[in-house]
Amino acid sequence: MLGDRTAAPIQRVRGTNDVLPPDDARLRQLEGLLRQAFESFGYQGIQTPILEPLELFLRKSGDEIVARMYAFSHWNRKLCLRPELTASVMRAFVDDLQGHGLPLRLHYAGPSFRYERPSRGRSRQFTQVGVELIGASGPAADAEVLHLACASLESAGITRYRLVVGHLGAALQLLGQLGMSDHAQGLVLDQMEPIARGRVDLESALSRVVDLLGGAHASTNGVASAGVPSLPSALASLPPDQATAIAADILSRASLPVEGGSRQPRQIIQRLLAKAQRPDPTNQVRAAFEFVAELHDAGGPPERLATDLRPVLEKRGLSTAPVDEITAAVDLLRAYGPLSPEARIEVDLSLARGLRYYTGLVFEIYVDSDDGPLQVCGGGRYDDLVRALGGREAVPACGFSYGLERVDLARGTPTQLIPARPRVLVVGVTAADHPAAVSLAAELRSLGNVVVEQDLRLRGVKAALRYADRADVALVVILGERERADGNAVVRDMRSRTETTLPRADVQRAVGEALA
Amino acid sequence: MSMLRLALPTKGWEDDVLRFLGQCGLRVDRSNPRQYRARMRGLPTGPAEVVFQRAADIFDEVNAGTVDLGITGYDIVAEHRSEEDDVIVVHGELGFRRCALVVAVPEGWVDVTSVSDLAEVAAELRVNGRELRVATKYANLTRQFLYDRGITYFELVEVSGAIEAAPALETADIICDITSSGVTLRENRLKMVSAGAVLESQACLIGNRRTLTDDDERMEATRAVLELMEAYLRSKQQVSITANIRGESAEAVARSALSNGGVAGLRGPTIARVFPKDNAENGLAAQGDWFALTVVVGEDVLLPTVEALRRAGASEVTATQVRYVFEHKSWTFEALKRQLHGPSDAQKTVARSSS
Repeated sequence: MLGDRTAAPIQRVRGTNDVLPPDDARLRQLEGLLRQAFESFGYQGIQTPILEPLELFLRKSGDEIVARMYAFSHWNRKLCLRPELTASVMRAFVDDLQGHGLPLRLHYAGPSFRYERPSRGRSRQFTQVGVELIGASGPAADAEVLHLACASLESAGITRYRLVVGHLGAALQLLGQLGMSDHAQGLVLDQMEPIARGRVDLESALSRVVDLLGGAHASTNGVASAGVPSLPSALASLPPDQATAIAADILSRASLPVEGGSRQPRQIIQRLLAKAQRPDPTNQVRAAFEFVAELHDAGGPPERLATDLRPVLEKRGLSTAPVDEITAAVDLLRAYGPLSPEARIEVDLSLARGLRYYTGLVFEIYVDSDDGPLQVCGGGRYDDLVRALGGREAVPACGFSYGLERVDLARGTPTQLIPARPRVLVVGVTAADHPAAVSLAAELRSLGNVVVEQDLRLRGVKAALRYADRADVALVVILGERERADGNAVVRDMRSRTETTLPRADVQRAVGEALA
Repeated sequence: MSMLRLALPTKGWEDDVLRFLGQCGLRVDRSNPRQYRARMRGLPTGPAEVVFQRAADIFDEVNAGTVDLGITGYDIVAEHRSEEDDVIVVHGELGFRRCALVVAVPEGWVDVTSVSDLAEVAAELRVNGRELRVATKYANLTRQFLYDRGITYFELVEVSGAIEAAPALETADIICDITSSGVTLRENRLKMVSAGAVLESQACLIGNRRTLTDDDERMEATRAVLELMEAYLRSKQQVSITANIRGESAEAVARSALSNGGVAGLRGPTIARVFPKDNAENGLAAQGDWFALTVVVGEDVLLPTVEALRRAGASEVTATQVRYVFEHKSWTFEALKRQLHGPSDAQKTVARSSS
C-alpha cells in the first residue's frame, strides 16, 4: 500500500516515445498501406523476435551499429535488442526457410533499437518496415526492389524525393587491390559515409583509421634507431621457422618468456613477424579515402554514369561492372513505369550505408525539407550474409527498409490516411436504462462503417453530451425510462444540434442514413 | 534547518581526502577513527554532516539523495553514470588520487604494442574458437572503449579480487584497470599498450541535482565548500613575494620591476611606500624612497622572480606560500547553478572515453 502519499511518476526511457491517439492510428494505417503495396508484388509477412543473440549482429553489421546496440547479458547469455531487421530475417531464413522455393519474397515491420543521440526523426526505438528478396540476383532483382521502395513511398503520398543509388563493388574492388586486411577494410568502409556526407574531413578520418590500425609506425616495434632495421623486420627476411626460433631464443635470453597465458608462443612470434612485414597503412588508407572522395565528386544523374564515373574506375584498372549494374537496374526501373515527376535519381558510388554486409548495389531515399534532408529509406544487395549466418550455400539477396516514423514525418502535416469512421454515442439516462442501451449499441455496430461507443459513466444526458462534443461524436442516441416505456429512442445530431424521437425499430436505419 | 550532507570515501582514500579538506580549511571531527559519522567544520553556514562510505558506493548514495555531496573517483562516476541519473559533477578536478584506466596485456605478448593489435588478436583467438577475455571492474567504459576502436569480439570477465592477477591465473587474457604508477602492472608482468588509456581520473566532487535544487541552505553551504576548494586549488604552487625596493616613486619602481622580466604576478605588482625606521635620524635619503612590492607567482618561477627583483634594486625579499586565491566569484559555483537550472537533458551526456 502506498497510502495517501502520491507516488512519483515514472518517466519513459530517454529516446523512446509513447505513440498516442490519433498518431497510433495514423502510423498503423501508414504501415498497412506500405505492406499492402509489398503484398501486391507477392511479398509475404514475417515476424522475428525483438530479442536476438548478440552474435547475430557482431558477424556482419559493422562497428558503427555494434557500438550503438542495446546489448546485455541475461543469465550469462549475451543478448541484444535488434538494431535492424535484415539480419534477423536472414537468420530466420537460415533457420527455417532454406528448403523453400526461391525466390522468397518477405516483408516485415517492427521496432528496432539504437543507442543514438535523439534528434528530429531519430529515436532510440523506431519502426522498420521493409522487404527482403531472397534468391534473386542481378539488375532484374535490384530493379524490383528499387521500384517497390519508390512506388510504395508514392502510395503513401510522398512524391518529392531523391533516390541515391550506389554500389559497394567499386570501393570493395579498390580495397582488395590495395591489399588491405578485412579489419582495415571494415574501418575504411565505416568512414566512407561520414566522409561522403562531409561530416568528417578526409585528414581526420585518415588519422583515426591509421590510429586504429596501429599508427604510422605499426611495423617498428621497440627501440629501432633510424637507418637500422628493427629486429622483427630483420628476422622477417629469414625463413619462417628459423626466424621463429631465433626470435624465441632472443626473447628468452632477455628473460622475457613468451607466455601469453592462452596464446601459444609460436602464435605470438609469428604474428610479430607478420606485423613487421606489413607496410605502413597510411598510404593505403589515404589512397582508399581519396578514391572515395573522387567517386563522390563524380556522382550525378544516371545519364552521366558512362561519361563521369566509368573513367574513374577504368583509370585504376578496376572492373566497370558496378557502373553497368547500376545502369541496367535504373533502365529496368523505368520499365516499371515513370516515377513521380518530382522524384530525382542520383548515382553516388561512395554510398556505404554504414552496414558491413552489403556487397553490391545500395540505395537510400531522402526527402528534402527546410530542416535538411531526411533519410526515409535504405537498402541494397547483400549476397554474403546467408553464408556468414551459417547458411548451407551462398544465396543472393537484397532488400530495403523504411523508417516508419520518418516516412510519417516526411508526409508533412499529420493527416489520417483513411478518413476516420463517424462516431455514435449510445446513452442510457440512468443505470436502469443501461442494459437496453447496450443492446441498442450492439445493433448499431452491425451497420459496419461506424464507431459505436457506450456511455459508461452513467452521469446523465448533460454530461454525456458534453463528452460527445469534445470527442467529436456525430450522433448521440439516448434511451430513458420514458423512451423505453414508449418503445422509442431519441437521436441527437451533434452537428445540426437537432433531436428526433423515433420508434426503437427505426433507429438503426435512421443512424445509417444520417451518417451516409 | 537542513544540514549539508557529505559522503567521504574510506578504504585507502581517507588520508588523502582528509588532508585535502584540511588544506581547504575544512576540518572533519570524529570521536574515533572507526566511526562512520562525523561533522565537518569550517563553513560559515555551520557544520556539515559527514558519512564515510566506500568510494564505489558514494555514487549511488549521491544518486539516491541520501547525501547531497560526495567525493569519489571520476573513474567511478564515469562508469556508473546513466543519462537519467540525478548526479552532477560539481568539481571534476580536486587534484589528488590521479590515476588512469588502462588496457594492459601480458608482457609476453611481444607482438602487441597498441590497441589495434588487440583487434587482430581477438580475431586470431576467435578462429581458435575462443574470445578475448578482458578482466575489469569497469564494464561500461571498457566495452565502449573497445567498440569505439573496432573491437567487437571480446568477453568481459568479472573477477573478484585482484584484477591484475587474472591473466596469470588464466581467468582472463588481458585486463582493463586503474593504475597510477604502473608498478602493480609491472609486478604482475603486464604492460600497458599504446593508445590504451580509457580514461584519466582524479578525485572529484559530485552532488545530487534534486536535493541541492530544493534547499537554499544546503546550496549556500555548497557555495562555501566550493569557494574554499576552488581558492585552495588555485593557490596550489603559488607564492606571495614581498621585496623592499628603493626608487624615485611607486611608478618608477613598477616600471623597473616590470621591465626586468616577469614580475607581473596574477594581475601586476602591488607597491606601497615604506617608512624606514631610521628616517628620523638620517633625514630624507637622497637616493629616493623605499617601497614594498608584493607579487604572487608560481613556485616554479620563484628564483627567477627573486633575481629579477634584485636587478630592479630589491634588498630584502620574503616569500610565503599562498593558501587561497579567491577570484571575484566562484566559477565552479556559477557552473553548478547553470547545471541545476539549465536544461537538464541537453547538457547531460554519458561520459565516454577520451576519443
